Order: sequence, then structure tokens, then C-alpha cells
Amino acid sequence: MPSRNPRMAVVIGRLLALAFLVCFGTGIYSHFLQDPLPWMVFPTRPLNLYQVTQGIHITAGILCFPLLFAKLYIVFPELFQTPPVRSFPHFLERASIALFVASSIVQIVIGLLNTYQWYALFPFPFRQTHYALSFVIIGSLAIHIAIKLDVITKHWRKQTAASVAPVASVAEPVEAVADPTIASALGTLTSSPARNAIIRAEGVTGKLFAWIDKTPAAEPRTSRRGFLTIVGVASAAVVALTAGQSFKLLDGANVFGARKQGVGPNGLPVNRTAKAAKIEALATDPDWVLTVVNGTMSKAYTRTDLLSMQQYTVELPIACVEGWSQMASWKGVRLGDLVDAVGAHGGTAIKATSLEQNSSYAIMHMGAEYVRDDLTLVALELNGETLDLDHGFPARMIAPGRPGVLQTKWLSTLEVLS
Amino acid sequence: MTAVRRWQIALIALGLAFFVVGGITLLNDVNPARYIGIAIWFVGALVIHDGIISFVVFGANIVMRKTGGRLRIPLPAILIVQGALVIAAIMTLVVVPAALKKSIGTGNATLLPLDYGLHLLVFYGVLAAVTALALGGYALLRRGLARAA
Repeated sequence: MPSRNPRMAVVIGRLLALAFLVCFGTGIYSHFLQDPLPWMVFPTRPLNLYQVTQGIHITAGILCFPLLFAKLYIVFPELFQTPPVRSFPHFLERASIALFVASSIVQIVIGLLNTYQWYALFPFPFRQTHYALSFVIIGSLAIHIAIKLDVITKHWRKQTAASVAPVASVAEPVEAVADPTIASALGTLTSSPARNAIIRAEGVTGKLFAWIDKTPAAEPRTSRRGFLTIVGVASAAVVALTAGQSFKLLDGANVFGARKQGVGPNGLPVNRTAKAAKIEALATDPDWVLTVVNGTMSKAYTRTDLLSMQQYTVELPIACVEGWSQMASWKGVRLGDLVDAVGAHGGTAIKATSLEQNSSYAIMHMGAEYVRDDLTLVALELNGETLDLDHGFPARMIAPGRPGVLQTKWLSTLEVLS
Repeated sequence: MTAVRRWQIALIALGLAFFVVGGITLLNDVNPARYIGIAIWFVGALVIHDGIISFVVFGANIVMRKTGGRLRIPLPAILIVQGALVIAAIMTLVVVPAALKKSIGTGNATLLPLDYGLHLLVFYGVLAAVTALALGGYALLRRGLARAA
């Protein structure tokens, strides 16, 4: 069994599990940045923290395509177990795998389509579904590891020729069925190593695969190395040709990413345009003011007022939840100066409101760790130019280490929270 | 109770706990009217992968091995060609939706700004050239080994 053997299932499986766990960890971080629990405080350094975590989230998600297909190819003959269901525990095992496979495929496909903003294909809300499925997938992964723990521990390390021999023997269907440890373990959630070690050789599929494996006859090592090389090159290709949307180092190779660094007004991509947000008239209204409120104290700033205040220039990335990100130069007023001007003292959280209506991100809460960070600005300029309307003119928020959806555009009011 | 058994129980308990969190999240955050849509996607994923893609790959594998056997093509050469086809197929799956969405329209010039169709064709071309080089390199290696023997 050249490439469809337990060792290969473990080798590819643990890479895929690692990718899933990385996606889960970075996804949870992104989720709580957007919907924090009351006690949560987030780091504002390093400056590119979210850029890196979300870039890794999307890149690892894309990497899951070749890894998941490889894993499913290895275990493909398992699909044709006969009889399909032997017992209730066996039914549960197969159902859990069906759930695991289906949720994994759906998760990476909707994740990819989300980076293309192809929401029309989803008969469900993307973010909430993606979040709920992440728990289903990691739960399925834990159960899958539990069921296959014998095989995983047995094949975690590369085995010598002598120790491989028993595994090779169970690949023979007659011997496998005759093995009492296998027969007794059929259909149980904690089946024996020998039972688990089988990547099915019986049935029409098994026979065809056996024929494939010896046509032409070759050393199994050649086939295994060939398989790993294919998976490796496919993985490298999908990462190298898309990750430039998140990591500048790979920008030159970015020919398939959903975004391109430097493409957009002010030399920066846009997630939501002013037209889509329906704020063009409001944002260009000459009477626009930014209202800063602290209890009964309130101040209104025109854009000219803001420009006449002490200006600061900071280099901060805009890092979108969709994974793309780019470093940019922002100029504007320190948020700390604005909240000080209305009598806020010490650590204070704020609520920022956008001119935008009917958006879940129209109101944004910001913890004190960001409000009091010297790099957090109400930005008025971007990359040496007046902030473009699509980037949040007349004024927008920019803070270190936050998702782009929380860098509220088209600011209307800032309210100091008690 | 063995250590393995204890780990299995702990992992299954952990998995079920995650299911509960996922289920509660789904109940709280997603309108029940949308569950049918999620179910359709789940069934669709299994049908498309297990029912179509797997069989196409399986069938292609058989055809290639059969052709390779008839023409006495050595396994490494078959694997090089199969590898190229697999890589092309995976890239197609990732990139074609981008090209399609771009052709439908994005309403935002900075979203999907590249010519994905053209880039994919160039990718196929480069992949074909690399595959040809790899086949040539393997043929030379094989000839050299045959001479040495």
C-alpha cells in the first residue's frame, strides 16, 4: 500500500490537524477582538500582531485545501466499508467522520469564498456559521483522534521494515478478517491497532487500488515519496501564490490573492466602499463635525479644527478580517488628546459611532489599552494624502493590533464610557 | 484502565464539549430558518467530494496507470504527470471562483483586482514547462543509470 497506509494518514493527518488548530486559535483571537468578553484586555504590540494572526488564519485555511484533499485521498477506500454499518457504535463513528469531513469542506470553502466576498452563495450568515463550525470541527478532530489513537501512536514515528511487517499483513483482506483481535473490535469506538491499521484492501475499490499500486510495479517508497512531493508542491504553490495579500514579502508572487498590496485609493485596498455604506452625502457634508462626549461635557470638531490640533504620523497596518493587510502611513490627532479635551482621565474606554447606518460595525467599542495608546489616531491623512472617501473621510480610527472592521470609518461621535 | 483508554475518554469528552459550544453558538447566533441552508451545504459537500471529485480522481488514476502500463511508462514519470494534474486541479478549485466572482462584479475595484483567468493560464503553462523539464530530467537520469549498470 504505497501512499494509502496508516503511516501516511498520520503524517498528513497531523499536518492537517495542526493547520486546523492554527486556524481555530487565530480565528478565536479574531472573534474575541471583535466581540470581547467584559474582562478581556488585548495586547497592542507588536504592531503587526493582528496582521500576522489573521494572515496566518487565511493562509493556513488555503493550505487546508491540498492537505484535506490528500487526507481524504488516503482514506478514500474506507468510504466503501461493507457492510456500511455494523453496529450502533460503528454508526456513530461513521457519522462523526461524515460530520467531520462535511464541516471541514464547508468551512474552508466558505472561508475562501468570504475572501472573495461572494456572500450570495451562502444561505446562512457567514461569520456566525464559520464561528460555530469551528467548534464542530475541533470537536470532531478530538473525537477522531480518540478513535484512531491506537493507529496514531503506532505510526507517529517512521517504522523500521521489521515493525511495518504486521501492518502490511493486515492490508491483506483475508488475514485481516481472520485476525480475532480485529473481528472482536469491529464497530467499536476504540478498535484495536490492527483493525485501525487497515486502509481497506477488500471490495472493488480496494482491488482497483491494489491494481493501481502495482501498475507499474515499483518500490512502495517511490510512490510514497511521489505522493508527499505532490502534496508538498501543491501546498507550497497555493501558499506562495496567494499569501502576498497578507505578507509583503510574498507580494511579488501574489498572482491569485483576493487583494493586491498598493492597489486602491491612497495606495491601499478597501473593504467597504463609501457607496456601499451609503454615506457619500453625509461624509462630504461641509457641516460635518466629530462630536466627542464625556458625560455632560461635549465638544464638536470640524475637520479644520482637527487639522489645527497637534498632528502625529504613525506607521500602522490595516489588517482585514478577510486576511489581506498592508502597512500604511497615517496622520491625524491622537485619540488620547481628544478624550482628554473632554475631561477624561486615566484609563478609559470609548464608543465610536460611524455615519454608516445598518451595519454591525457602525458602533465600535474600544478598550482603554487602545484609547491610551500613543499610536491610536483619529486619522485625517493616509499615505501623505487626504483620507480618501472610501478609506473613511473625513476622519477614521486607526489603532495598533485591531481588525480593519474595528478601525471605524466615517466617524461621527466618540463617547467616553464611564 | 490503560493510558490510551484514558486519553480516548478525555478526547471524546473534549470533543463533545466542543459540539455543545458549537451547537449553542448556532442556536444563539444563527436564525433557525438558515439551518436548512447549512444542511444543504453539508450534504452538497459530501456529494461533490465523495460522490464526484473522489471518483474522478480515482478514475483518472486508473486510466493513467492503464495507459502508462500499456506504454510501459515508468512509475516516476506517471507520478510527475499525475502530480502536475493534481496541482493544476487544486489551483483551479481555488482560483476559478475568484475569476467567476470578478466576472460577476465585486462593486469594489480593489477586491479581486487581478486577471485571475490569465494568471491561471500562465500558471498552467509554467506548470506544463516544469513538468516537461522534470520528465526530461528523469529520462536523462534513467538513461545515465542504465548506462552505469
